[in-house]
Amino acid sequence: MNEIEQTGLATMRDCWITGGTSFDLAPAAWKDIAAGANPDERERRLLAIAAQALEIALRPAAPKTLKRRPPLPELALPMLPERLRPLLRAALKQAADARSKSRVVAVVASRGFVLHPMDWMPAASDQTSPDVYAPWIDWQAGVDGEKHTSREQLTSQNWDEFYPAARRTALADMRRTAPAVARQLIETRGSTEPAEVRLALIALMHFGLGPDDVPFLKSLSTDRSGKVRELAGRLLARLGQHGQPGDGGPEDPISELAAFIAEGKSGFIRRRTTYTPAKLKSPAQERRRAELFETCNLVDLAARFGVTESDFIGAWQFGADNNVDILVARMVAASGSDAAVTHMADTLVAEGGKPALFVLHLMPRLDSRRQRVLIRVILKDTQYLGALSLAEGVEAGWLDWADLTNGKTLPALRTAVAGNDDAVKRGVDQLLETLGFLATAEAAEKLIGDVVAAGMAPAAPSLALLRLNASLAGP
Amino acid sequence: MKTIEALAPDQASLSAASKLTRQSNWPRLEKNEQLALIWGECQGSGSSPYRVVVDTGDHGYKCTCPSRKFPCKHTLALMWIAATAPASFTAAGSTPEWVNDWLGRRRKTTSQPAAPAPGVAGKSIGEASREEESTVVEDAAAIERREAAQRKRAEDTRSSVSAALDELDQWISDQLRLGLAGFVDNSSDRCRRIAARLVDMKATALAGRIDEIPSRLMGLRNEERPDAAIRELGKLVLLAKAWRSTPDDAELRRLVSTSESREQVLANPEAIQVESVWEVLGEKIETRRDGLVSHSTWLLDLNSAAPQFALLLDYFPASAGRRSNAFTSGDRFDARLVFYPARQPLRALVVERKGDVSSAQWPDFGFDVADPLAAHVAHQDTAPWLTDSPVMLPPGAILLDDRGDAWWQSADDPHGIALPIADAVSPTLLGLDLAATAALWSGSRLHLLAAQSGFGRLDLS
Repeated sequence: MNEIEQTGLATMRDCWITGGTSFDLAPAAWKDIAAGANPDERERRLLAIAAQALEIALRPAAPKTLKRRPPLPELALPMLPERLRPLLRAALKQAADARSKSRVVAVVASRGFVLHPMDWMPAASDQTSPDVYAPWIDWQAGVDGEKHTSREQLTSQNWDEFYPAARRTALADMRRTAPAVARQLIETRGSTEPAEVRLALIALMHFGLGPDDVPFLKSLSTDRSGKVRELAGRLLARLGQHGQPGDGGPEDPISELAAFIAEGKSGFIRRRTTYTPAKLKSPAQERRRAELFETCNLVDLAARFGVTESDFIGAWQFGADNNVDILVARMVAASGSDAAVTHMADTLVAEGGKPALFVLHLMPRLDSRRQRVLIRVILKDTQYLGALSLAEGVEAGWLDWADLTNGKTLPALRTAVAGNDDAVKRGVDQLLETLGFLATAEAAEKLIGDVVAAGMAPAAPSLALLRLNASLAGP
Repeated sequence: MKTIEALAPDQASLSAASKLTRQSNWPRLEKNEQLALIWGECQGSGSSPYRVVVDTGDHGYKCTCPSRKFPCKHTLALMWIAATAPASFTAAGSTPEWVNDWLGRRRKTTSQPAAPAPGVAGKSIGEASREEESTVVEDAAAIERREAAQRKRAEDTRSSVSAALDELDQWISDQLRLGLAGFVDNSSDRCRRIAARLVDMKATALAGRIDEIPSRLMGLRNEERPDAAIRELGKLVLLAKAWRSTPDDAELRRLVSTSESREQVLANPEAIQVESVWEVLGEKIETRRDGLVSHSTWLLDLNSAAPQFALLLDYFPASAGRRSNAFTSGDRFDARLVFYPARQPLRALVVERKGDVSSAQWPDFGFDVADPLAAHVAHQDTAPWLTDSPVMLPPGAILLDDRGDAWWQSADDPHGIALPIADAVSPTLLGLDLAATAALWSGSRLHLLAAQSGFGRLDLS
């Protein structure tokens, strides 16, 4: 279309918008085509020509500024094979919440693959997905796209070139291999970061936590953020360091908490000290006790009673009050030393039954061997199978078929599947999802066969994660 | 399993079907591999079981249950069992009568070779020939009457459609006289009125198209609507003129009045047949103002050097719920397609599906970077009444403008042409380099279907 035609088209268009005949405004060549007909037909012919001119000769005007995001980084692991993506999408669809979706992601990562970015992307605030996704988390965070994630070793000089997730991953790795260097970095560069970032950085200190960290953690007692001070205090408590010495008066939190605990004796020949939850008079008191358990440290509480952490745990009478037992377990997980945590875990697992379930609150602090032992205990007993879904920080894809056959789990599952109780079936669905996360590929495949034989529909949505697991060969 | 999921009208049907896959629900499960049929009886809540039959070749089905969902849970369950536990079916030499009934009803319009009448061989030659003669005489008369009636109907339709197009012409002239600003503001009422007249006068397809103009205009920004109205109305003028010059043209008749049936397309010697490997690019499901749902499935010919597309188009009442034609994005299969005769053959039917093919990258198409819409222009040259064209875009990326709207831009020509995208795009897509993108160009917007990227195939429809 030449310039005359373009101008003509523009004036004809304006004429048609308001209404009227445009024949006199049309370019000469167009008039020739339209001429010789009645006025209505002339206008229709011109309309047809104009329509074609707009359709093929003009293109949309692109805005002057079009913003491009930086390319999505490639991850260190290969993409899940195309043929498995429908299974993955089914498993993601079945996963109800972010936690369940992150389990699907963890299973895939445990077999050496990452997800397709159009199937799943971590959020910019994500702190739970496998480390391999750090470049994507940072890509999500970097809206303006001016920075690039460096693949170099993190140093004080290139600190700003790293996005938060990549920095966190690098620091976590460094804490495992060279904790002092990482601590120095957190000390020198972390102080200038906002409180939220500072808190996340100091939380990384739990990797390779050791006595060398004490001076730095003590220096944080003057930090301007209350959350940072609290976290530093808990990390110090894990190292056996007492928090702020209380005055021992009724206003001292440790003394207040101790008052909610009854100290007694048991045994006829060898008198042993015991600690049990004191009987309280009101729900307000119970709430206050719960608050105190959340803020106080185990080492301070044990010291208040004049015993060691391990002695306190050994003397605690589990089973008297489940709610308080859970509070104790959480306090130990948050502020107990490594020795205290393992001591408590071993004691409770050895005891078995319901007390063993309290170890679930210690899971994030336990090594993978103890985690696996506990899960096997729960599976063998089957009385509290539902509690398995509470377990956090557990590795994916290790539970063997032998673990499932060694106990009452399978018969219980079969009975539940064959039955008609909807509530029980919902529990089965939840358990199958958990087992889909824990099982090896072989165990997943056998488990599918087993529950299908028991009457479950082969394509039941609750088998989605197990099906994905079964289709993924080992790493 | 993917096919079953795609066929299911909704998730509830799928869940209900999954509960019916137990063997105990099915007292009878049989198959006939030669006829590609499976059938069974499913014990429902009533006294007699529901009878279900499925043609595994083309996923046709029938169930005697009263469900208003198609396919029903019994049909899905039968397919499910066939996919997961084929050994559950007993091979049957003959098909039961109710299956035969369904087959008969289903295929009675296809051009089957006439089978000899049963019992003819047992009669004497004289009797047989007398009967045959009388049958032939009756048939000839009936055929003549039928053909005469057909000719009369065709003539009536043609003169009615011709009058409809005269009204359409006058209506277009009125819109120009009254002003397109008013047309854009009031397009819904104005289009509805002329569409109703066109339906009355047997220009049904054209009426459907005009009924959709308001929604096409509303999908654009205010300042773009007058130009879009010129394009829409100008194309109607062209289509009307083309029909008047050749009213018997199959393509024009399809666009103006009614479409030919599947059997007519299959029997048409001019219909092009292409056997190739096809990939399902994506689908577009739209509920139209006339209460029909149009379900478009776009296919790409993977054996062609230049991008060649096919469109499987299905209409069904919105009240029937969601339906699918058993394809899911990314599926690849070897099949023979027959195209509805047209200047730019696009709409097609699957004649024979031979089996699935594993997925891979698209072939390396030669791209015209100077004008990514060159294929669209070529289509418009031969069939200027077409509205949407499938296009294969060269390497590019998706960018955002200041308003947050998405644009596709060529990688080799970052300062050149950019095409606006109709729908919101996933933020992740903004970080991907697209090696090739399949899309529909509507004259003003791109509707993305699928793309190839460094991260593999992307479903975008």
